[in-house]
Amino acid sequence: MSDDIQQRIHATVTGNPVVLYMKGTPQFPQCGFSATAVQILKASGVASFASVNVLDDPEIRQGIKDYANWPTIPQLYIRGEFVGGCDIMREMYQAGELQKLLEGIIEA
Amino acid sequence: MMHPEQIEQLILAGMACEHLTIEGDGQHFQAVVVSREFEGKNRVQRQQRVYQTLQEKLDSGELHALSFKTLTPEEWSAQHG
Repeated sequence: MSDDIQQRIHATVTGNPVVLYMKGTPQFPQCGFSATAVQILKASGVASFASVNVLDDPEIRQGIKDYANWPTIPQLYIRGEFVGGCDIMREMYQAGELQKLLEGIIEA
Repeated sequence: MMHPEQIEQLILAGMACEHLTIEGDGQHFQAVVVSREFEGKNRVQRQQRVYQTLQEKLDSGELHALSFKTLTPEEWSAQHG
């Protein structure tokens, strides 16, 4: 595990209110789960959010799994905190919890 | 390519489950895991616990697309009472 990569990830997730680590981009997701994650975020009222395409960087792709002790992509971070992957996003959205968490940073 | 039964065996070997169902087509899987171990744990911690049992297959890339529902026995019976 590279400390440099971990520091870069930490800087990204703490430097942006909402960050989605995904395969592909919000416009062109490369995986069904990443596409779903983008749709859920948009449905939650977030106009724009930071996204990182892990397919662009193998070190980030592995590093983000170590960072959150979470072996899959996508991964959502809000205010620097790891929120979960696609299933958790869906459950939280259906319960209205995700919208609540995003309140106040909708304009981000 | 993995069979749902293989995933089921790995999860059962790694943790105590009250109930477990896995459906899938070899590429995408949906799992419902009911375990007492989830009591007092949040969603992230619950899913991390299940991921632990599948670590090897996730690391190797054999297993990639797995959806979860993680419930305690009480939550499970409330849904299926």
